[in-house]
Amino acid sequence: MENEKQVLSPKMKRKLKSNAVGFSFVLPSLLGYAIFVFIPVCFSLILSLMEWDASQAPLKFVGLQNFVTIFGDRNFRNSFIHTVTYSLMTVFPTLVISLLLAVLMNSKIRGITFFRAAFYFPHIVSVVAVGAVWNMLFQPDYGPINMFLKFIGISNPPRWVLSTTWAMPAVAIVSVWKNMGYYMIIYLAGLQGIDHSLHEAASIDGANGWQRLRYITVPLLTPTTFFVLIMLTIQCFKVFDLVYVMTGGGPGNATQTLVNYIYTKAFTSWKLGEASAAAMIMFVVVLAVTLIQFAGERKWSDQM
Amino acid sequence: MKMKKMIAVLLASMMIVSLAACGSSSSESSSTETTTETTKETESTETQDTSQAAETEESTELTGEVSISTWGYDTSGVAFQTIVNAYMEKNPGVTVNVIDYTSDDYNTSLGVAMAAATSDPDVIFIKDAGTLLTMADKNQLLPIDDYIAADALDLSVYSGGAELLQYNGVSYALPFRNDWYVLYYNKDLFDAAGVEYPSNDMTWEEYYELAAQLTSGEGTEKVYGTHHHKWEALVSAWAVQDGEHTVVAEDYSFYKEWYENTLALQDNGYMMDYATITTSNIGYADMFENQQCAMLPMGTYFMASLISAIANGECDDFNWGIAAIPHPSTTGAGYTVGAYTPVAISAYTDVPDLAWDFVKFATSEEAAALLGEQGVLTGIQTTESMAAIASLDGFPQDGTSEEALSYTHFVFDRPLDPDIEEVRTVLNEVHELIMIESYSVDDGIAELNERVAEIKGW
Repeated sequence: MENEKQVLSPKMKRKLKSNAVGFSFVLPSLLGYAIFVFIPVCFSLILSLMEWDASQAPLKFVGLQNFVTIFGDRNFRNSFIHTVTYSLMTVFPTLVISLLLAVLMNSKIRGITFFRAAFYFPHIVSVVAVGAVWNMLFQPDYGPINMFLKFIGISNPPRWVLSTTWAMPAVAIVSVWKNMGYYMIIYLAGLQGIDHSLHEAASIDGANGWQRLRYITVPLLTPTTFFVLIMLTIQCFKVFDLVYVMTGGGPGNATQTLVNYIYTKAFTSWKLGEASAAAMIMFVVVLAVTLIQFAGERKWSDQM
Repeated sequence: MKMKKMIAVLLASMMIVSLAACGSSSSESSSTETTTETTKETESTETQDTSQAAETEESTELTGEVSISTWGYDTSGVAFQTIVNAYMEKNPGVTVNVIDYTSDDYNTSLGVAMAAATSDPDVIFIKDAGTLLTMADKNQLLPIDDYIAADALDLSVYSGGAELLQYNGVSYALPFRNDWYVLYYNKDLFDAAGVEYPSNDMTWEEYYELAAQLTSGEGTEKVYGTHHHKWEALVSAWAVQDGEHTVVAEDYSFYKEWYENTLALQDNGYMMDYATITTSNIGYADMFENQQCAMLPMGTYFMASLISAIANGECDDFNWGIAAIPHPSTTGAGYTVGAYTPVAISAYTDVPDLAWDFVKFATSEEAAALLGEQGVLTGIQTTESMAAIASLDGFPQDGTSEEALSYTHFVFDRPLDPDIEEVRTVLNEVHELIMIESYSVDDGIAELNERVAEIKGW
């Protein structure tokens, strides 16, 4: 090391020093990442090829057997389908609603910051509280939502979290409500990046509000939309807490999602190999979505 | 660049080190500890030495620290508290450290702690007897046959309980508590309806009739004839009560009549419907204590909390009684369903002798007497301990209630089966679907047959 130092030119020394300072700043976060994310992920990759019951018994290599087992497991297939359904039911409504909200919140009304804060608020509330309160709202017999539905003439409103068909939409509705504020902020940022002169020019040409939204705002927001789409999809694939609080995966297993499945496999059945295999499949899906996001980002940053 | 490489090497080596650590059996530290691991570990090693020394000197004075794992210690752990305090009083040299988990997460938290193979907890209270088997299968429990033999412990005091808890002929645990289903009833509501109190020899059909007779009122004033909590066990337990079947079965058609009967109670409004109980998080204790139901089939563990709720003025002061749980028409009286709460020793304990001493105390007649004063039924039922319970302040003094606490046939609510936890997941899911009437009873039974067969590999 000392010999090396003497060989270094003053310029390189300086560079090394500044690098060292830089690394020392990222080190805490890097260490945290390594210990709590990177290493466990690598370990679960290894575990997915092993059989392990969380005992002191040595890991037994079983190759791809875990993957074969879970692909044959109807619960896994159901959980996968439920996760995809949940994503579809959450992503598109959130996209549309948060965009519309952002457009509304972008206008110059008095007290607009209050409304912005109000719509953002659900995002910072604890999932447990949100789940508990919405469960009361969704109560099928005397909950306010069904009372309202009955009031407007729907004599047989959905049984929400107690119905195998409506439990997932109920969770999705809460998820949309909770997420829309956050993505509204992202859309707001995107909207403020749109040159005001474009709107002016369009109004002079006689475009109405809808046309301006359709032909100026939406196309120019494509990169933002893409970002929101990807982020939401990833977030949806990772859903656990909201489902756990609202339905616990029920009724039956109608709302059991992938993470739910992984959790049960790991900590009820103690089949950590199979749980890790399922986690790996989820990892691959999320990775694929992320790679699409990276590719898209490159495309749009080139355009700009 | 060089720096980057160095970091990469560092990361890679860290990964390998940590993986190696995971693979080997020397992992340390569980995050749920209350005291610092390092100090404890050194102390405990000393303890082991001293306790062994103590034994060779045949002195009764024990010293050291023993840790126990419990659930809900502060909230509902009267039994745990009683034992811990009594043990420390008896052995002033010993400190008992309680590692407490929430009740719902107990099995998971304990499983994770055991995976780390730390020396704490030394003594493990087992919440669901099924976990005893999974833990024994993973060699996480210390076989205690040698200790039993060395101390010439008389297992007959448990009237068969100790043998029931054996697995593959090995003893891992002794029965700490023993609870079974009884029928709680509200005497005031029975009097108001002019109906005779339930007897200790009553069939389920007679019980359904009582439920119908005692249902009254509408809306918020409604009093239900009975209340079945949302548990799957409150259907399956009656299905296995005759001892002919267990809840891990190849053919679940024996569930049919029990589900139909329970659904009938619900559809007729004789008990609160499942949907309301789940969505509104209705607790069974509240239902009974607020006099919203006239009867409540529930475990004997409810007795102590009911007595204290009334004594502390947490609910109305009303008259209640206990009857034996109704029985199927095919059996006579005296058949009940229940479970044991076993207490075992961790295979990784660093103070096995001290841990054994604690287990021995927790399951002793002395402890049974102390727990009896708290209204807790233990693995040992002597005439004295039963009399102690019956003479409790607040226990119904009518003769029949005391009599209701005896049984002739005891059936396990769940069989000792290593796959029981996985099977229970299925039982719970299907139970929910049947109770919300998303499934017909036949659909439910078909799904149970199929999915349980998959788990068991039948």
